[in-house]
Amino acid sequence: MDSKSLALYPFVTEAFSYVETLGFSLERLLNSRALDSARFRGKERVLQSIEDGEIQKPGLSGSGEEKTFLELLSYPFSRILVSCINDSYLIRRYALAEAESASKLLKTENKDFLVEIANDFNVSITPFDSHFAMHFTDYIKLANTMKDLKWKLVNRRLKRGYVHITHEEVARLLQEAIRDRIQNALPLDVSSEVCNTCNSHIDEIKEVLQNRKSDINIDDMGEVDTESFPPCISNAISGVSTGANLGHSMRFALTSFLLNVGMTVDEIVDMFNVSPDFDEEKTRYQIEHIAGSSGAPYTPPSCQTMKTYGNCYGGDEFCQKIKHPLNYYRKKLYKKAKKEKEKSQQQDG
Amino acid sequence: MNDKTLRFLKKRFQDYYQDAHIHLPPEYTSREWGFILFDDMPKTVMRRHMAFGSSGELQDYFSWTVPAHAYYSVAYYEYPNASNMKDKNWLQSDLIFDLDADHLPHVPDSYPEMLENVKQEALKLYDFLSDDFGFGEDDINIVFSGGRGYHFHISHPSVRSLGSAERREIVDYISGRGLDISQIIGKSYVSGDSGRRDASMFVFPSENDGGWGAKINRYIISYISNIVNSNKPIKKLTDFSGVGKTTAEKLVNIFNDEKQLSLLKKGKIDMVSNTSKNLFEHLGKQAVDNLIANVDEPVTADVKRLIRVPGSLHGGSGLRVTTLSASELEDFKPLENAVVFKDNPITVNVTQPSIIEMKGNKYHVDEGVQDLPEYAAIYLMCRGGAEYGSN
Ligand code: SF4
Repeated sequence: MDSKSLALYPFVTEAFSYVETLGFSLERLLNSRALDSARFRGKERVLQSIEDGEIQKPGLSGSGEEKTFLELLSYPFSRILVSCINDSYLIRRYALAEAESASKLLKTENKDFLVEIANDFNVSITPFDSHFAMHFTDYIKLANTMKDLKWKLVNRRLKRGYVHITHEEVARLLQEAIRDRIQNALPLDVSSEVCNTCNSHIDEIKEVLQNRKSDINIDDMGEVDTESFPPCISNAISGVSTGANLGHSMRFALTSFLLNVGMTVDEIVDMFNVSPDFDEEKTRYQIEHIAGSSGAPYTPPSCQTMKTYGNCYGGDEFCQKIKHPLNYYRKKLYKKAKKEKEKSQQQDG
Repeated sequence: MNDKTLRFLKKRFQDYYQDAHIHLPPEYTSREWGFILFDDMPKTVMRRHMAFGSSGELQDYFSWTVPAHAYYSVAYYEYPNASNMKDKNWLQSDLIFDLDADHLPHVPDSYPEMLENVKQEALKLYDFLSDDFGFGEDDINIVFSGGRGYHFHISHPSVRSLGSAERREIVDYISGRGLDISQIIGKSYVSGDSGRRDASMFVFPSENDGGWGAKINRYIISYISNIVNSNKPIKKLTDFSGVGKTTAEKLVNIFNDEKQLSLLKKGKIDMVSNTSKNLFEHLGKQAVDNLIANVDEPVTADVKRLIRVPGSLHGGSGLRVTTLSASELEDFKPLENAVVFKDNPITVNVTQPSIIEMKGNKYHVDEGVQDLPEYAAIYLMCRGGAEYGSN
């Protein structure tokens, strides 16, 4: 890969070794005047990820070596900044933005380049005239976090072990792999001296982060009232608490529901922590994935979908009136509030 | 089960294990093993978290402790004998499918019929694994469970690192769960050029598509071909609601014309009338119901499951957990080929009257003391329907 590609895809393995051969010490990356603009660009990456959810990539085709180096070196600096702040929302959002921007760019690259990037993630793809073939095991590893039904293996053209995918789809699937790689490596192990050196940048990012967080305070429904949960959710919760293993689709429905009504990731992790071989790290990872990095968690599936997957327990009268488990909850909360108000009025009067 | 029966069964199982060859899974030293011993019965305690370093050691364990039920983990662990699941350190797992008569939509009363039904599912599953998933005959280990079904073991390196969610995707594929059939067959709306109204067109899969599309194409074409090549095709076709005589005749013509038929196979459907298209759509849905294989999802998704050891005996039937090749599957008769005991007479006291069909013989067994061929006697005792001896 040439140095320009490495600068645009700085998360590939080759980029790490390349940066090493350049012989820039951490010291220089943090302090050298010559690298001022690399650091500035590093901060910009993080800020763009928070504000736009996307990192603007420079066009490097006509530019000289210097610009390429600065772009390349800005990436390790971004990762240092994110690591110093060490906020799980920021990490998710930053990793996603890096991955999305890379994926967007990948759509414009040629086939061989896609093959090369895929290889870097241990995924082998074979190019054909108008599509690629990917082994189904690689495919499900990448696609299984994808929400849209069209990504389900059952809806793919699978033949003798290989899935038929388009150029664009390869780019989209690699986005998942890229995001995983970036997110899993963060936070880096950074010393407080290193972070102190970057203080001014860090403060600036923190402020923007704070604003973003208060902006997106999503759909506040007040305190979580478990009594108003719909039957499907209550049922799943009692299943979990007795150690039953939920199916994938129900796990997703339950987790996204709880996140949407305002439970925190920690609270949900605790809820799943009942069985002796509970794997906290993995559970947290899955929940954080559903929590999403855009600020809003995934929406839980509709009643229709719940029914398709055999996850609906709709026997109660409220279920007749709604088409979505979240609406069940909203309606019930509303009704309860109304009742209480009436009660207190009666008492007053 | 009384003591005398237990002792008898233990002795006969022991004789079997003295000569039998236990089928060792790949990397058997990294597996956890678990056993239910005759010595512990009638209580069912599983002695698990065991590991063996050599095949001799395993063979000895079988012949000296004599398990009624024997299992090993589908998982490979770093420390398979650690007593806590977490400390075992999971490395990888075989991919497993479980087909069980109890999980099929219709459960017939008779055991042979039940086994036949589940065999049909096994054949369908095999097609999925070879046509769609591309596994070779040597990659797929088919095992009769000794009870009511079959286990498929796949140890191919490509599948070993798959997690539970990914394994569920495979099950969903095989059971058609989440299949969006509207993308494969039926009317679909495509947006036209600006200014024009959206055009609707009929989508139809090609047999070259792979995936469910190809399956559905082949099903529909062979279904209608069968009708066209039978006698009274017109009558049979017009029995479908909405299909009139003209439509039926036209269909027969298309299916008798090699060229048009090969176009249909490639997913070209313009020559077919709208009424026929509706028929195709209807058959497409029917195809899905007929082609899915009912595999037990939780078993496949559980990467730490214990599964019966091929070559061991099933303590609930006395039948051998039997490994089969794909070509053997079709003709496999569990109640003949998985029977290991002889036919010398054994006196038993039958407590549950039953009908037994084994080794080509059918016995109507009434309550009370009687002689039965050893294999039938052991089968009944294992199932708890008889005790050993005359009292
Ligand atoms: S109808 Fe909807 S809310 Fe009610 S149980 Fe079913 S899925 Fe849940």
